[in-house]
Amino acid sequence: MKARLIAAAAIGLVLGVPASAHRLDEYLQATILSVEKDHVQVSMRLIPGVAVSSAVIASIDSNGDGVISEAEKWDHARRVLSDLSLSVDGTGLRPRLVSVDFPQVEQMKEGLGEIHIEFIADLPPGGPRRRLILENHHESRSAAYLMNCLVPRDRDIRIVAQHRNEQQSVYQLDYVQADASLVSPGSEGWRGVHRWTSAVGFTSVFRLGMRHIAEGTDHLLFLLALLLPAPLLVVGSRWAGFASVRRSLVRILKIVTAFTIGHSITLALAALGFVRVPGRPIEVLIAVSILVSAMHALRPLFPGREAGIAAFFGLIHGLAFATTLGHLGLGRWERVCGILAFNLGIETMQLIVVAAIMPSLILLSRTRAYGALRIGGALFAGIASLGWIAERLLGAHTPVDIVVNGVAHHAVWIAAVLFLISLAGWLLTDQQTALSEPIPPPALTRT
Amino acid sequence: MSVSPMRKIHAAIAFVLVSSALTTAAQTATARIVTAANTFLSKLDEKQRQSVLFAFDDEKQRARWSNLPVSMVARAGLGLKDLNADQRAAAMALVSSALSPRGFEKVEQIMEGDELLKTKGGNNPMFGKDLYFISILGKPSEKDPWMVQFGGHHLALNITFAGERGVLTPTLTAAQPALYTLDGKTVRPLGQESDKALALLNALDEGQRKHAVLGFQTADLVLGPGQDGKTIQPEGLKATAMNEKQRAMLLDLISEWANIIHESAAAARMAELKADINETWFAWSGPTTADPGRNITAYYRVQGPHLVIEYAPQKLGGDLSMHVHTMYRDPTNDYGRGLTAK
Repeated sequence: MKARLIAAAAIGLVLGVPASAHRLDEYLQATILSVEKDHVQVSMRLIPGVAVSSAVIASIDSNGDGVISEAEKWDHARRVLSDLSLSVDGTGLRPRLVSVDFPQVEQMKEGLGEIHIEFIADLPPGGPRRRLILENHHESRSAAYLMNCLVPRDRDIRIVAQHRNEQQSVYQLDYVQADASLVSPGSEGWRGVHRWTSAVGFTSVFRLGMRHIAEGTDHLLFLLALLLPAPLLVVGSRWAGFASVRRSLVRILKIVTAFTIGHSITLALAALGFVRVPGRPIEVLIAVSILVSAMHALRPLFPGREAGIAAFFGLIHGLAFATTLGHLGLGRWERVCGILAFNLGIETMQLIVVAAIMPSLILLSRTRAYGALRIGGALFAGIASLGWIAERLLGAHTPVDIVVNGVAHHAVWIAAVLFLISLAGWLLTDQQTALSEPIPPPALTRT
Repeated sequence: MSVSPMRKIHAAIAFVLVSSALTTAAQTATARIVTAANTFLSKLDEKQRQSVLFAFDDEKQRARWSNLPVSMVARAGLGLKDLNADQRAAAMALVSSALSPRGFEKVEQIMEGDELLKTKGGNNPMFGKDLYFISILGKPSEKDPWMVQFGGHHLALNITFAGERGVLTPTLTAAQPALYTLDGKTVRPLGQESDKALALLNALDEGQRKHAVLGFQTADLVLGPGQDGKTIQPEGLKATAMNEKQRAMLLDLISEWANIIHESAAAARMAELKADINETWFAWSGPTTADPGRNITAYYRVQGPHLVIEYAPQKLGGDLSMHVHTMYRDPTNDYGRGLTAK
């Protein structure tokens, strides 16, 4: 390092400060990513300045013969690659070199040579919301990093956000990708977003809304945690006994409706640009909302006022929905259609989830096992929310996303098993203890 | 009495003068530039003509430009130092005919700056206003597309003409020193590019700034020389989130590049960029203040559907406010590709 500084100073003296024209003591490393559905292509331009070039040349020309051989080029490119880390949705990727191009040694000595390295990494199939992280630690002492991505050629892919640390050595790329299974071949799919007047655009944003809830596990976890104690009664400061089916149904309906009204209001306000709120605090508040509803499921904090709480936190969740919608880059009029389609999508998915889980909750609430489900569910939601709070507030790395997404991935099976268990449990309980209130099976099948 | 011969001559002279004035006024900008190009070519010998002319679709020549001195990245065409005074005047007249008065002044100020690098560097042969190159791609024509390139260290003008349309992208303007005195006058070749951007940043409210100011360093141009044909993801503050006055300031900032080309082409370009304004982004990276009368030390980028502007202060020389590279592109129409594509 010292030698390099001396070299830099010496060159500065020789050339005279104003009369130097090339890069001096910096190692410019410019990286551009290009995301496709099944792979990411990365191209790097590495330009060592005069003062660092001799060290770079020495590291490339490993046998020191003053010539950069083909083998030395590929070896060096592999070393550069080993100084990078690339991951998608938390899974490490294995990039493979596609091409390497090295300048003449003389050019590099003058600080003019550009090393070009291109590589590709296959992307495993994943959800519609994806996160690529690229870290570059190559020659970090002298490096000046640039990280960018191209506007995706594939219009089914939309960049949502780019985050970098101060040096641009860590780059996080969030994007959404329309799923091939959702877009039937030949249909407009996401392209429809651009042609808003067509009905196709409406359906794709409607689907986006549905997926947002289906994949946005934090929104669902909040709602489910809030629904957990809905079929129960409060005795003293504890959950005990169970409410009638009709009362449980009304309560659940009230909570879901209140949540919907809450998030519709802020979604509309934010999407139309009347309120603008930074994303991060909202994400933190959403995690807090899960924590609150999880605590309520453990011990009644606000019995009878669940609907009010749902509406209040709905306001916050709506702001997050608006961010997603905002990233589609729609115009004002398109946004009005967008809000409607997106909201209907959210509602539909919410109703599907509630309809799928409600019979189990009501059935199981009549058994002793419900206490275990309620407490287990509340603890799961509570711990997940704490993890998210730590992640979103402190930038800590937690396995929460992996665990929750893993559970959500098997949601259909979990719901089915839960229903079977609750059905069995209820039948057994029904025969053992007389229910204070008979539950007519037709009322259940109606849902 | 018959009309005296003198009167006849006077009348004839007046007729010629008036009609030539009228034709000049009626002559289109492209016709003027074609005339200037043909005048320049007519002053060259055969060998020089061969050096200066390229095929219109010569991709290698199109991309043969750089921010670097000509000794480091060789340019093709004819160097000003290899022209006699008459030829050189004709070459500069051609460049001037293609640009607005302020655009041409900028070019001269960039070249004067390079002359200072030469003289202050003890007659450093790497620099100086002799070391600029001109080339013509295609045949100068009022109908068919053709190009003029002019550049050297810190300058690369790529001007495409297609009928009455004129396209300046991609163009690199840069300056070192970014502030100097010449004949007792303070000159900042790219001072407006700096000042107008800072004024816009200062006109933003706290919430807008949070979007506009990126939280990381940007050491250099992202889409500099050699980076043709790339469209990066825009970021920063979108002009939809600006008020009317701020949008006008953004457009005024853009005009520093859009108005380098001659007036009628600039007017068409500004109309296009104005129509795009709501899809245009402004991103800032680096210090948000500057010493009065000096250039900013921050990087910024203006990007829209038909526009990428980058302003990148350079570490080299030790003072970021004294050395800047800027880039002006239209990802849909660099080298007039959008106009000339069949």
